[in-house]
Amino acid sequence: MRPRKAKSRRAGPAVTTVMVMRLYIADNAPNSLKAIANLEAVCKEYLQDSFKLEIVDVLQFPLRALADGILVTPSLAKLSPSPTATIVGNLSDRVNLLQALGIRQ
Amino acid sequence: MANGRILRLVRSGPERQALEAGQVDAVLDRATGAAFLLPAAHRALSSTAGQIANSVLAALPREDYQSLLGELEPVALAAGEVLYEPGERIRYVYFPNDGQVSLLTVVADRKALEVALVGREGMIGIPLALGAEASPVRALVQGSGSALRMKAASFREALKRCAPLRHELHRYAYTKLVQARQIAACNRFHPTEARLARCLLLIRDRVGSDQFRLTHEILANALGIRRVGVTNAAITLQRSKLISYRRGKIHVLDRKGLIAASCGCYEIIRNLAS
Repeated sequence: MRPRKAKSRRAGPAVTTVMVMRLYIADNAPNSLKAIANLEAVCKEYLQDSFKLEIVDVLQFPLRALADGILVTPSLAKLSPSPTATIVGNLSDRVNLLQALGIRQ
Repeated sequence: MANGRILRLVRSGPERQALEAGQVDAVLDRATGAAFLLPAAHRALSSTAGQIANSVLAALPREDYQSLLGELEPVALAAGEVLYEPGERIRYVYFPNDGQVSLLTVVADRKALEVALVGREGMIGIPLALGAEASPVRALVQGSGSALRMKAASFREALKRCAPLRHELHRYAYTKLVQARQIAACNRFHPTEARLARCLLLIRDRVGSDQFRLTHEILANALGIRRVGVTNAAITLQRSKLISYRRGKIHVLDRKGLIAASCGCYEIIRNLAS
């Protein structure tokens, strides 16, 4: 997403910024499934449709994860809006997750 | 991959914290570019790669099943192990993959009557699915096997969000209720030999083999009689060449004959289960 576009959107009263995230997981392993479920719950509650989420399976694409600086899964990268952030683990700590994503409760 | 090497790959920072909290499934090795699964994740993935053994879980839509997987933990069920005592708060529910768990109603003088047998077709922990916190029965592992278990709190959450799981468990609980009613009447009105035949036929179907091991005590609990009563009834069935029973090893020799010798309750219960 281009920053310019986001800026123009912010001017409208009802339009919100789209949050772009990438979640790195390992197939259907337990913590990966927990991370997906925890993140989906937060997105549903706080972001509705204003988010983009890409899920990367590191067992299939390990080099891609390494190139993004990921060391363990599950890890969630918040790519935009800035500031960017990386949250490691199964995302069960909701307060920490909301804070890292910059979502006000 | 050895744990020590995984720890060397992740020396510090939030990654190390998550690893120590058991929240990590895989670690990437910068040097080789490979991803390594942690032992728990490896076990979970290899146990879910094949077919789903438990019928309740297998009946769920794939995505509902996958949403539960993160909360399911594989455990072994050892014969003689007690999963619940009567009145005890339920900590885990169990979805057996194989093996059998006997649910026993214990009366004051330490006598116990088997009120249900649960195998891969069901779940142990039905009270939780119906809104109760404690188990009214003793759950005793009768035949060793394995199961997937889930913490009570996670199970309650799963029930809230997963309608197919609710539906499947209500259907199962209803079947068990009707079976229990049938067996209550059967225990009161039918002769011991016919009930023993019914009981052996049901176990045979569950095990999927004509030969299986059963102690006199298990059968005495299942039928609510003393061991000597089991011996006498078994002798009658043996004389008719329907079964052989030696040193706890049962061999069903003539299934059709055994059905004829059983009360009609076997067919009724079997039809309910299918």
